Formats: sequence, structure tokens, C-alpha cells
Amino acid sequence: MRARIANVLRKEWTLMARSPSNLLFVAVVPLLLVGQALLLAWLVPRFVGEGLGDVDRLRTLLLDQFRFFVLLIPAMVANVFATLSIVEEKVTRTLEPLLATPVRTWELLLGKILAGAIPALAVAWGSSALFVLLACLLGWEAAVREAIGPAWLVSVLLLAPAISLLSFAVGVIGSSRANDAKGAQNLAVLVVLPVFALIAASVLGWVRFTTVGTLVLSAGLAALDVLMLRLAVRLFARESILIRWR
Amino acid sequence: MDEPLIHVEGLTRRFGTRTAVDRLDFDVPEGEILGLLGPNGAGKTTTIRMLAGMIAPSEGSVRIAGFDPAREPERVHEVIGLLPESPGLYDRLSAKENLGYFARFYAGLDVAAAVDGGLRRMGLEERRHDRVATFSKGMKQRLALARALLHRPRILFLDEPTAGLDPEAARALRMLILDLRGEGRTVLLSTHNLAEAEAICDRIAIFRTRLIAIDSPQALREQRFQPRVRIRVAGDAAAAREALVKLPFVRAVSADVQDATLLLATVDDADRDRPRIAARLVEVGAELLEISAEQRTLEDLYLDLVEEAAQ
Repeated sequence: MRARIANVLRKEWTLMARSPSNLLFVAVVPLLLVGQALLLAWLVPRFVGEGLGDVDRLRTLLLDQFRFFVLLIPAMVANVFATLSIVEEKVTRTLEPLLATPVRTWELLLGKILAGAIPALAVAWGSSALFVLLACLLGWEAAVREAIGPAWLVSVLLLAPAISLLSFAVGVIGSSRANDAKGAQNLAVLVVLPVFALIAASVLGWVRFTTVGTLVLSAGLAALDVLMLRLAVRLFARESILIRWR
Repeated sequence: MDEPLIHVEGLTRRFGTRTAVDRLDFDVPEGEILGLLGPNGAGKTTTIRMLAGMIAPSEGSVRIAGFDPAREPERVHEVIGLLPESPGLYDRLSAKENLGYFARFYAGLDVAAAVDGGLRRMGLEERRHDRVATFSKGMKQRLALARALLHRPRILFLDEPTAGLDPEAARALRMLILDLRGEGRTVLLSTHNLAEAEAICDRIAIFRTRLIAIDSPQALREQRFQPRVRIRVAGDAAAAREALVKLPFVRAVSADVQDATLLLATVDDADRDRPRIAARLVEVGAELLEISAEQRTLEDLYLDLVEEAAQ
């Protein structure tokens, strides 16, 4: 069982590694997010003048908000990889021999979800570490100490994996139901929207994501991940995939 | 008597209001190559997919090595190998990586040995590290057959395995299929190539949604066509025809509509009666140019049966 999931993971990663354009996307998007967040924090004095207290407060806010921007990374990576995961197998006709092996649908789908979610999460964590490191190198230790607290860490370490799995689960569902990659990507955009809503709610001060609140949200999303996997298995219609993709 | 390896009873599949496969009944014993022949849309691929446990029948039952594909697909997948219409290989993976990926889904399989053995058997050892995108169609087909054989399945489903291959590659693949029978494997082969079916199948099942006929090509020909002797004489064939009609063992004599020198005599046994016909024609002074038992091809049989079924 675990060996079969690992087998799917290995194959998916080999194929990913041999797709330079996808790798470029995965490398560039997080760097752009990190760069944009740091640039905004660096430009703070221009917005608020030289009142140092205001500068630190605004920088702290921007550094704190980065924990939500990090959530965009798996959602965006999923939009590229997860949406192609089943559609590509349909187009290349590899699904039929695959479904003639003893692999179970949930093993195949979980393998595909993890194959995307794990590297996406690694990129998200790597981006977070890079962000904090660069902020310290720019001399904003005070803002970093203020912003990177337990709530920030829970967001990055727990909420990001839950969002990552959710993004890929929705992407794989879209991929197995859609007729082409574009259709699957359109469905997967639905994942990005709630993340944007989270960011907006936080920036506007409508919701305050405390440590406990973020923990509860992470737990809720983890439960949703399990439900989404079950839904993905239920919605994976072997018959119609084989019959419609002749 | 042993249970047949494949048992199909009343197998039916409907897609909406369209019936793709209608009440199929047949058995396939171990070690037999059964050819599935039928026009496009006859339901060959649908039948293979139902037998392989990939789509469910609307009605009827199937047993594959004692397992029900609809209820125990994973058990069925352990004992079958499938070569679909399209090879379905990962172009960005090498031959070895493709086989390795599929081999790891089978519990207890020595993956390295299965992959190496498959590549060696199909003559692809030297290309093991090359990406499949660089392979010819024949090589891809051989690799796909190696994939179907990785776990040494008892039953193989081959869906038009030689379609689109050049004659040399098609012949090589046919030889491999015959080798598989030699190993005691049971093969269900869907094909449009009647010469191929004649050459390698023990029995053929001709169907067009419904099963029209199933038996060995020779037996089907004998059932369908009465034996005839082809006779070609020099000049006017009318006198020869008159002499033949009077022979007690000749059931009928017809002249070829396009060739007045050619007569076809219907008899009970063409090989037995041919010398007697020749002797009689010499007796009456006919100048005999040719006399032979008529060879009805599988194509004659197939077209005859399929056209009749369509009416």
C-alpha cells in the first residue's frame, strides 16, 4: 500500500524534474512573492515618512501578513501540477494500462496529491525561511521578532500543509473530472479564492488569526483534506474516463 | 472437467440506449489464443474492458481465473496483462523507468528481474535508458507488451496489437504471441487483421455486438461453406459442365460469371472427389487446364457472416 503510493510519488517527481518550464514556475513564483513582500517592507519609509515607530509597525504588519502569502504558493503550484495530473494521463492514454494494474484508486490519487503537495510545501517553507533570513539581513530584526511569533509559525508549519493538501486534492478532482487542462485549472482556481479571502480578512482587520484560531483552522482544514480525498476517490469515474478518452 | 480460464455468460453492456455488447456467451480454456473479430464499433474493446474489470457489465457474468472482475478487480488484475489499443507509455521516462513503474504495483514481484527480463525478451536491452519518446511505434508496442507480461499473467488481453506496425514489426510481435501460447498463457486477441487471426488463433469469435460465430477458422469454414472443386477447361465449358452434372457425388455445378472457362462443382469432400472429377472430364474429352479444391479464405467467411448479421 505505502509502496504503491511511494511508486506514484517517485514517477510523478521524475516527470516533474523533466519538465523545465514547470520547475521554472515553481522556482520563480515563490521568489516573486518573497521579493514583493520585502520590497513593500523596504518602501515603508516612503509611505509613512521618517516616524520610526510607524515604520516598524507597518513593517511588522507586512512581515506578519507574509504567513498568508505563503499559503498562496501551494495553491498556485497546485494550479499547474495537480490540474495536469490526471488530464495528462488521459491525453497520453497511460491511464488504461495503469488501471489494469492492482493499484487502487485512492492509492493513485493520494500518490498524485502528495507528489505535488510535498514539493509545494517544501517551496513554501523554503520561501518563508528565505523571507525571514533576508528581513534579518536588511536589518529589520525588531520587526521580525515582533511578527514571527507562535501564530506565524503555526500558520507556516500547520496551516500551509493543510492548504497544500487541499489545493492538490481539489486540483486532482478537477483534473479527473475535466475534459482538458484548462477546464481543470478553472476548477482549481476555486482553491486560490479562499486563500485570498483569508488575506483580505486579515489585512482589513476583520479577523485576527491568533495562535489558537490558526490551530483550529488548521485542524479543520486537515479534516477537510481527508474528506476531499474521499470525495476525489468517489468522483474518479474510471468508466467514463476510459470511455470518453478513446 | 476443468473450469475454463475465462467464462462469459450473457455479457451485456449498454451505454444509455445504445447496446454495445449484447448477451455474449463463450468460454476460453487455458493455453488458447482466441481472436475477437468484428467491424469497428462491434464491441471488441468494450468486451476486453469488461473482462479486465475496468468497466462493469450491464448484465451477465464473467469469471476470470475464478474471479469476478466486477467484484474483485484487484484479484483479476493480478492474473491478467493488458495491451491496450494505444501503448500508453510515459514518453519522458526511459524504457526501464516505464517498466519499473508498472512492476512496483504488483506485490511480491522481483522488480529488477521482471524489468530486465522484459527488456531482454523484447530486444530492448540496449535502449533501456533511452526515453520512450525516441522509440519507433514497433518498439513502443514491444515495450507495452513487456509491461503487460511483467508479472507473468496467466491471461493476456491484446487489443489490436499489430495495428499500424510495419510488416516486419507485426511479424515479430506475432511470433512473440505464439511464444506466449507455448508457455501456456491464454490470449484474447482483438484484431482487424484476418490473416493474423488465421495464422495465430486457435479459435475466432466473430461478433457484431452479438456473437455471430465461434470456432476454429477451419471448422467455421466447413460449417459455412460446402466444399467446391475449381475446374478450368480450354474452350467451351458447356460440355464439361454437362458431364459433371451427371456425376452422382456432384451436388451442383456453377459457372463463374466473369470467366466462362471456370466451373465450380459442389461436392461433399473436395479432396476425395477431385480425382474422380478429373478422370470423368478426361473421359469426355475436355482439355483440363486446372483442377483444385477451392480455398475459401477467412475474409470470405468473415464478410459473409458479418453482412448476414447486419441484414
